[in-house]
Amino acid sequence: MDLGVATSGPLTREFSAVVIAGFGNELLPLTSNNGVEPCPKALVPVANKPIIDYVLSWIEQAGVKDVLLICPTIHRPMISHHVHSGLSTLHIDVQTYDESIESNTGTCTLLRHFASRISEDFILLPCDFMPPPSLSLNTILNKYRTESLSDGSVATSCWFAAHRPDKNSLVEDWGSIPPLVPIVWDDATGTLLQVDTADDLDRNSEEIELRMSLISQYPRTKLSNCYQDSHVYVCRRSILDLLQEKKHFDSFREEFIPWLCKIQYQRTKREKYGHILNPVTNLVTQDVSLKHSTLRTQAKVYSKNVLHQSNDADASSPFDPESMADSSSLRVGIMLHPTTAGFATRVNNIYSLLDMNRRLLAETTYSLPTDPQNRSLIDPKAQISSDTIIGAFTQISERTTIKKSVVGKHCIVGKMARITGSVLLDHCVIEDGAKVDGCILGKNTKVGTKAELTRCVTQPGYEVSSGESLKNEKLAVSDWTAGPNESEDEEEDEEEEEESEEEEETAEEDSEEEED
Amino acid sequence: MAPKANAGKDKLLNDEAEVLQAVVLADSFNKRFRPLTTRKPRCLLPICNAPLLDWTFESLALAGVQEIFVICRSHPEQIKAKIAESRWSKPGSGIKIVSILTAKETFSPGDAMRDIYTRGLVTGDFVLVMGDLVSNIRIDEVVKVHKERRKTNNDAIMTMVVKESGVKHRTRSKADSAVFVLDSKTSECLHYEPIMGYPPSTGAKIPREILATHQDVEIRHDFIDCSIDICSVEVPSLFQDNFDYLDIRRDFVHGILTSDLLMKNIYCYVAKEGYAARVQDTKSYDAISKDILSRWTFPLVPDNNHPAGHLYEHRRGNKYIDKDGTVLLARTSTVGNKCLIGSFTKVSDNAQIISSVVGQNCFIGAGAIVDNSYIFSGTTIGPGCVIERSIIGSDVNIKENTQIDKGSLVSDGVIIGPNAHLEAFGRLSKKRGSETVVNEDGEDEDEYADSEEEEVEAAQDSIELDLGSESNAIMWPLGAPDNEEDEDDEDVENVKNQRFMRLGDSASDLAFSDPGSESSDEESESSGEESDFGQRLGTLPTSSATSLDTPDGSSTIAIAESEFRNEVRLSLERAFTEDHSVDNAAVELKTLRMASNVPLSRVREEVVSAIVERIKIIDGGGAPQRQEILNVVSRWGPLIDKIGGVDPVETVTALQTHCASSERMLLFGQILAALYQDDIVEENDIREWHQSPTSQGLGLSPSVRTDNMKKCWEIGSRMIQQFDEHDEDSESESEDTEESHEDDNDDALDELESEED
Repeated sequence: MDLGVATSGPLTREFSAVVIAGFGNELLPLTSNNGVEPCPKALVPVANKPIIDYVLSWIEQAGVKDVLLICPTIHRPMISHHVHSGLSTLHIDVQTYDESIESNTGTCTLLRHFASRISEDFILLPCDFMPPPSLSLNTILNKYRTESLSDGSVATSCWFAAHRPDKNSLVEDWGSIPPLVPIVWDDATGTLLQVDTADDLDRNSEEIELRMSLISQYPRTKLSNCYQDSHVYVCRRSILDLLQEKKHFDSFREEFIPWLCKIQYQRTKREKYGHILNPVTNLVTQDVSLKHSTLRTQAKVYSKNVLHQSNDADASSPFDPESMADSSSLRVGIMLHPTTAGFATRVNNIYSLLDMNRRLLAETTYSLPTDPQNRSLIDPKAQISSDTIIGAFTQISERTTIKKSVVGKHCIVGKMARITGSVLLDHCVIEDGAKVDGCILGKNTKVGTKAELTRCVTQPGYEVSSGESLKNEKLAVSDWTAGPNESEDEEEDEEEEEESEEEEETAEEDSEEEED
Repeated sequence: MAPKANAGKDKLLNDEAEVLQAVVLADSFNKRFRPLTTRKPRCLLPICNAPLLDWTFESLALAGVQEIFVICRSHPEQIKAKIAESRWSKPGSGIKIVSILTAKETFSPGDAMRDIYTRGLVTGDFVLVMGDLVSNIRIDEVVKVHKERRKTNNDAIMTMVVKESGVKHRTRSKADSAVFVLDSKTSECLHYEPIMGYPPSTGAKIPREILATHQDVEIRHDFIDCSIDICSVEVPSLFQDNFDYLDIRRDFVHGILTSDLLMKNIYCYVAKEGYAARVQDTKSYDAISKDILSRWTFPLVPDNNHPAGHLYEHRRGNKYIDKDGTVLLARTSTVGNKCLIGSFTKVSDNAQIISSVVGQNCFIGAGAIVDNSYIFSGTTIGPGCVIERSIIGSDVNIKENTQIDKGSLVSDGVIIGPNAHLEAFGRLSKKRGSETVVNEDGEDEDEYADSEEEEVEAAQDSIELDLGSESNAIMWPLGAPDNEEDEDDEDVENVKNQRFMRLGDSASDLAFSDPGSESSDEESESSGEESDFGQRLGTLPTSSATSLDTPDGSSTIAIAESEFRNEVRLSLERAFTEDHSVDNAAVELKTLRMASNVPLSRVREEVVSAIVERIKIIDGGGAPQRQEILNVVSRWGPLIDKIGGVDPVETVTALQTHCASSERMLLFGQILAALYQDDIVEENDIREWHQSPTSQGLGLSPSVRTDNMKKCWEIGSRMIQQFDEHDEDSESESEDTEESHEDDNDDALDELESEED
C-alpha cells in the first residue's frame, strides 16, 4: 500500500459531506427572529450544544474532512462564526442561498445549484440529525463502499426507528408530528425498494401499491412504517447529473429518493437513466475478482432459498437475477437502525427537541461547576437535581429548585423559582418566584415575577409579564399588541381550572419520569 | 397401526384424545389435463407410476392422520375402487378412508366445503388437502402449532402451509401464484393477493390499515402454496354462510381477511424444510416428477416406500429400474439420468430414454427416442418414434416413425401412426365410436365432459389430420376448447394464462410483454400525468410488439366510442330542437357517459362540436354572424361546464380541433371570443391552451388539418396580444403565470419524449 498516494491532495478524497441547514420552520417559534437577529435552526442547542455540532463531530469521526455547509444567506454570519470558532479539524465551506422563510427551497434545487462544488461521491446530511453513539457514519459509508463496488448501488440511505410521543404528552398547539412513511425494503440485501409518497397517498389512500416488477425481483420484502428517514444519504456523484436531468424534483427525501428507488426494478427507467447513473467507469475491472468474492450477497441469497435451479434451457427466462446483476444493480441501499441499538432522532420539531434534551439529561449527572467564577454564580441554597445541565455563566439565586432541565448559558434565575422538565436556551431571565414547567424557552426569554408557564414554547426575546399564567401555548413576539388583553381574559378561566389540572399533570409527569 | 404414523399420533393422543381428520378434495374442478382426464379423474393419473391419490395418502399418513374423507365428484367409482385396493384400506393400516360422493353440481372447492358442512363430516380441526398433493412436510407439526394458537386465540380459524422457495422455482406456478403479506413475528396472514401470468398483474395492493396494527410486515412472493390447510371446524360453516365463496384462496381467504364483520384470523405456516407441491397442471406434473426423481421428496422416493408398492432399484444418476428383473433393456439402448422404468417394460435396441418416466408393460421400439416425457403403463412406442416433452396415456399405441412434439397430451387408448407427426401442444383422445362399451353405464359418465368430447368430435372435419392411416384419434383444438364461454380474462382459467401451465411452454412471449408496458405507463405517471385509460391502451401495442395477437379489444372500444358519439349527437339534437333546459340536457349526457364508460374529455369534444355545428353560417359574416354566435353560445355554452367537470383549457382545445376539420374554421376566433365573454373560458385558460404543444399542432403530420390547427393557434395569439395590451398594469401577475406555464410546458415536452421512446 502506498500510503503517500492515498492521502495526497484533495484529488483523492473519497467523500465530501454536504450539510444542509434550513430555517427550521418546524421549530417555530424558537427559530423566529430575536429582534432583528435571526436564530438559525443549526444553532438551536440540544443539551447546551448546537445541534449542528452533533452532526459535524459525527462526520469528523468518520474521517471525512471536507464539508460543504449550505445555509440561508441571513444565517451565514452566525453559522460561519460558530463553525469556524470551534476546534474542529474539518474544512468547512459555508455557502449560502437566498430564500425567504416562507418559501422553502428543496434540497434537490440546492444540490443542482452547488453541483459544481461537489466533485466526488458525497454524503448528504441534515443539520438536525442526532446520531446515536452506537451508529457511526463509517458503518453507513462502509455499506456504500461495498455495495457500490460489488454490484453498483448508487446511494445508501439511513433510517431509524421512529419514536412517537405519547398521546398524553402531546400539545396540539406545538404543531403536528410528521406522518409515518411506509417503506418497502429487502432485508437480505439491505435494499430500499419503495418509499410511499404523498402522491401515492393521494392516488390511493386505502392501499399501498407495489409493482409486479418489484415483487418478482425481490420476492421477500418487508414493509413497515415504524422507520423514519434520517436524511443521511451517501450518494454517487452521478446522482447530481441525474438531478440536472430531472429538473422538477424539489425535495430530495419526499420526491427524489422514492423515484430513485424505482430505477432499480423498472426496465424503461433503467434504460433511460442507467447510463447517467453509471457512466463507463473502471468498474468493469472489478468483475473478475468479484465473481469469486464471498461478499456478494445478492446472488447467493437466492440460490440458498431456491431448492435447485431448473436446468432445462426452456425455463430460463430473460429475467433471472443473474442477468440483472451483470449490469450494475443501481440499487438504493438502506441501513436500518432499530430502537434497541440506541436512540436516534432528527430534531426537526418541538417534541423531538424536548425529547432529545430529556434523553440526554438522563445520561448526565450534574455537579456544581469547578471553575470558581461560575461556581460563585450559583447560590448554595439552590436545589439542583442531578439530572440537570446548567450552562456556563448562569446565575442561580437562593431557594430555587431546578429539576430535569437544561438551562443555557448566561441565564439569570431569580429566587424561589421552580424549573422542572424544561429547556431554557441561552440568556433567559427567570425572575423571582416564577414557575416554569415542561417549557422550552427561546433565547432571551424573560419570565416575570411569579409568572407561571406550563408547557409553553416561546419565541426568542419573548417577555412573560409578572404574575401571568400561561399553559399549552406557543408564544410569539408578534402578538405583542393584542397579547396582554387576551391573555388576561384567559388567565381567569385558566386559574380556575388550574388546580384540578395540575393534579392530572403531575400524574402524567410521574409516568413520564418513569419512562426516562 | 402403521409404525410411521406413531410419532405424530402419540402427541395428538396425549394432547386430547381427538382423531385427526383430513379431507381430500379428489377433484380438480378444472380441465387443465384434458383430454387425459376425460375417462379418469386427475387424482388417479400416475406420477412416477403411482396414482396421485396414493401420494396424497402417503403424505397424510406421514402426518399421522387417522381418518380421511375423500370427496369425489367425477368418476367416483374409479376412485372408490382405487381406495379399496389401496394398501391404506387394509386392516391394520391405522387409517380409515371414507369416500364421499358429492353431487355433480359441485363445481368448486367452495361447493365441496358446503357439502362437508351439510353432511357434518368433521368434528374438530382437520387437514384439508387436494387430491394431487405430493408432500413430505410434517403436517402434524403444523397441526400442533395450530392447536396451540387456538388455545389463546379462538379466531385463528385456519393455518395455510406454504413452502419457501424462489420465484423462479420450477414447481411454482407462474399462472396462479400469490403475494402473501404476513406479520413478521406471528406469521399471521394479513393480506392475500392472487397473481396471474396473463393478464399480467400490475402489482399488489396492500391495504394501509394493516400498518396501523402491525408494525413489521413481510411481503412474500416466493411461496409455493401447497394447498394444505389446517382448518378449524367453523371453516365449512363459513363457506355455508357465504355461498359465493368458490375458491379457497381467492374467495375464502381473501374474503375472511377483508371482512370487517367476521374478525377471524388466518395464519401461515412457512415450511422451511421439506417438500410440498401440487400437481396443478401439466407443467407442475413435469416439475414434480423431476423433483421426485431427484429425491427432493425423500422419504417419498421410488425406491423407498413407493406409494403404489412397486419396488425400484436406485441406480447411479437417479435411474430407477424395477427390481423384479422383468425390465428388458437392450444392450445398445440408452437410459439417461433421472429415468424411471416400470416392470415388464422392454426397451429395444438403440432406443434412448432421457429424463423420462416409463410405466409398466411398455414397449419402446428400436431407435425410438423418449425425451423428457411421461409414458403411462401398457403403451407401445413403435420403432423410430420421437417423443418430446409430452405425456402419453396408458395403452396408447404409437406406430413406427411417428413424431410427437413438445407439450402434447395423448389420452388413453389412442392409436397413432405410422409416420404421423403431432405438432407441438397437440392433444389427442380416442374416438368414442371405437370404444368398447365399458363406460356406458350412465352414472359414471361425466356429462359435461361428454358433451365437450362430442363437440370436439364434431369439429374434426375442419381439422387437417395427419395422424396416420391406422389412427383412431381425434384431435382437440389448439388453444382452449371453449373460446366462446371462457373468454373472461379475469378468470385464472383463461386461455393465455393456461399457457403458463402447459408442459413445455415457456410462454416467454407472454411474460415478455409485462415489464415493458408496465413501466412505460409508470414513466408517464412520474412526469406528473395521470395515465388515463386511453393512454394505457395507446402504449400497449407499441410496447408489447412481441406479445400474442391481442384480442381485438381496441376495435371493440372503437365501436363503443362511435356508438357513444352517435348517441350524444342524437341527444343533443333532440335538446336543440325541443329546446330543453341546459340542466336537463346535462343530466342526459351524464347518464350516457356513465352507461358507455367513456372519459369526460370525449363528452366535452362532442358537446363543443355539436354547439359549433349548431351555429349557422351567415353569408357575408359581419354583425349578423356575430349575433348568431352570441345567441348560440349564450344559450348552450353553459352546457359545456355542466357535463360533470370544468376544464376550460380542454374546451378550447376541443374547439380548435373541431374547427380545424370543419367548415366553421373561420368562426374560431369569434366563437372563442363569445366563450370568453360568457365566462366559459377565462383569459388564463386561453393562455394556457396557447402554451400547450398540442394547440400549436406540434407532432402532427402535415395536412390541411394541421394547417388549420396552426391558423387557429395564430388567432389565439392575436387574442392574447389584445389581452396583453389591455392589462399592462397587471403585468407582473401574468408574468408569474407565464412562468408556471413554461414549467408545464417543459413537463409536457418531457412526457412527449417519453412517449416517443
